[in-house]
Amino acid sequence: MEYNGGSVVAMIGKDCVAIASDLRLGQQSVGVAMNFEKVFPVNDKLYYGLPGLATDVYTLREQLRFRVNMYRMKEEREITPKTFTHLLSSTLYEKRFGPYFLEPVVAGLTTPTELEPKPKPFISTMDTIGCITTPKDFAVAGTAQDKLYGMAEGLWEPDLEPEDLFETISQTLLNAVDRDALSGWGAIVHVITHDKVITRQLRSRMD
Amino acid sequence: MNAVLQSLQPPARHTNEDEEDAWGYGNLDQRGGVRGMMVPRVPDPAAFLNLHTDSISSNPAAKIKLAHGTTTLAFRFKGGIIVAVDSRATAGSYIASGTVKKVIEINPYLLGTMAGGAADCQYWETYLGMQCRLHELRNKERISVAAASKILSNIVYQYKGMGLSMGTMICGWDKTGPALFYVDSDGSRLKGDLFSVGSGSTFAYGVLDQGYSYDLSDEEAQELGRRSIIAAGHRDAFSGNTCNLFHVRENGWEFIANYDVNELWYEYEAKKKAGASQAQAQKDEGMAVE
Amino acid sequence: MALFDQRPAYAHEPTVAPIEHRFSPYSDNGGTILAIAGADFAVIAGDTRQSEGYSIQTRYARKVWQLTDNATLATNGFAADGKNFVKRVKQRLEWYEHAHHKPMGLKAIARMIQTMLYGRRFFPYYVYNILGGIEEDGTGAVYSFDPVGSYEREACRAAGAAQSLVQPFLDNQIYFKNQTPAPGAEAFVPGRLPMATVLGLVVDSFTSATERHIEVGDGLEMYVVMKEGRQTTDLTDEGQLPAGMKVEELGSMGEGRGEKTFLVSMPLKRD
Repeated sequence: MEYNGGSVVAMIGKDCVAIASDLRLGQQSVGVAMNFEKVFPVNDKLYYGLPGLATDVYTLREQLRFRVNMYRMKEEREITPKTFTHLLSSTLYEKRFGPYFLEPVVAGLTTPTELEPKPKPFISTMDTIGCITTPKDFAVAGTAQDKLYGMAEGLWEPDLEPEDLFETISQTLLNAVDRDALSGWGAIVHVITHDKVITRQLRSRMD
Repeated sequence: MNAVLQSLQPPARHTNEDEEDAWGYGNLDQRGGVRGMMVPRVPDPAAFLNLHTDSISSNPAAKIKLAHGTTTLAFRFKGGIIVAVDSRATAGSYIASGTVKKVIEINPYLLGTMAGGAADCQYWETYLGMQCRLHELRNKERISVAAASKILSNIVYQYKGMGLSMGTMICGWDKTGPALFYVDSDGSRLKGDLFSVGSGSTFAYGVLDQGYSYDLSDEEAQELGRRSIIAAGHRDAFSGNTCNLFHVRENGWEFIANYDVNELWYEYEAKKKAGASQAQAQKDEGMAVE
Repeated sequence: MALFDQRPAYAHEPTVAPIEHRFSPYSDNGGTILAIAGADFAVIAGDTRQSEGYSIQTRYARKVWQLTDNATLATNGFAADGKNFVKRVKQRLEWYEHAHHKPMGLKAIARMIQTMLYGRRFFPYYVYNILGGIEEDGTGAVYSFDPVGSYEREACRAAGAAQSLVQPFLDNQIYFKNQTPAPGAEAFVPGRLPMATVLGLVVDSFTSATERHIEVGDGLEMYVVMKEGRQTTDLTDEGQLPAGMKVEELGSMGEGRGEKTFLVSMPLKRD
């Protein structure tokens, strides 16, 4: 985890979720890239972040792209955040004895259906071998994990509107990575609402 | 059995029977040395220290985490000496502080820089300040930079192998003009024109080497020192936060300023971009003329 | 000879691996400490849980100690080393007062702590110290130390188990890091926050740390050192403190200049 560095955080708001990551890719102490995104879209209501070993980020991202596309073709519908979490979890568990060095974070909104007319905003996180946790407030992972916990615990409150959620997750991420030597070098935030996704790059410390 | 073995062993080196005397400054022994460093009574005190702290090697399992990671530089030029340092201290990947004073003001004519163990540098360079003052009182003249750096080098050499960790540059102006010495805890003491020490030193050298000349003007030299620290602060994860810049001249050192590494980095980037677009505009203009 | 023959059978087997006997005098007793300096006051706080591994040794162990009228010290790390260190600091302060007929100033205490810690450079006290109080010029000050004595004056500092949780929050709320004042609004000046705000931040820091760190909890003790002239009512008045706080004025310790120290305590979650 410490080889390339990097962190991801996700938060629940009122009818919205947000997910954010830093942009650093390093080789231990040396910064190599400042445009390494760790958060990827599945569809326009579901994003996931993969902080950890960069080589596994690419492998798992492609693996998931394949599996989500197969799901789409077989089911002829978009995957829900909950289903995606389990797909991701079982993908990780396949490598139980030689795991991917990643701690994924998932954030998304579920489209209302007849079976589930009022779905709640959804976030989840799991360990390297796919043990799922589904928090009701926020999820954090990466080299700045403990710093993110402290920030989020201090700033987050229930039922934040999209713009307030953006400010909360941005402050959480920026101040946490500023105390972490292996995260930082730029940051990106996605706020997912039912009608749009707001994506913004943050001006963060570059040291 | 172990207890029997222990009792048969000769007492550990540097053992002070009365550890209440472990006082610190103002408690010099008859020979003027420091007394009262308490050492654990184990066969190998250095191994003990290495087991519990990360002072020698980076021992991540150690309970006692000491501050590490640095970029410091100093160079001699016609206008004196430029000393520039960052201000970050890390314990593992945690940034323990972003406001460390890594330039230690030994006296109005001498500066020391801090890399390695923060406490080792702070303590022994303060102690060096006392020794320099005693030299002034005894000899009615200021100590030379060579002599001052040798006092420090001799002290750390006495403790060689015990786990001290410091890489420092002693900078000052004496009868011979500006002088710069590199002293480290292995016992090295080198005279030179340009040094950089710490985890970010390779990055600093990169900028320093391409811009250095003895004939730099004051402004150019200060800018070179500043730019080198910004480069290192940017690339090295264990350096950054702020840059402290000092200039040593004939009448002593002067603190120039404290700069935010991040703000300066964005300034340099903006200049780079402006320069690039200007060059592109000129090129376009040239082509239009053709 | 019979004596030897009675040894259990396994004693005759060759030793498979060398038996390691190493000197391990340290333990980590968890907990977190925190200090914030204001313009004319300082708050030095610590939780009261003492643990070893996953077990709680006690729910009330002190980590913050009043040294003089204008200085309070918080210790964190190995509790035995911490207690012993504070005892020795207090002894040195008493000797100083006998020799000089005045209490030691804050910055002198800070330098003394450096030399005492460095005296154990090769057998360190496993203690992270934070010293808070009122400087001779009347300003609130915080000094933080590493285990072997490197130190620095700061406006705020957290140390111990939950340091990495609390410090970024303090950077944001005390130093206003990553915050920009609204256009036309006044610039932020760190170190000038009112006491009620500071105490609120301390409480929030510790409740957050208690939620997410197993070694933090049980109780919170905040020592408030005020410059002479500030009134008790600054603390006890309505709205100055969150509900459920106990405030106790600590008596003068000697010939100070009239600085006052208060102990504000509250319970934290015990799970």
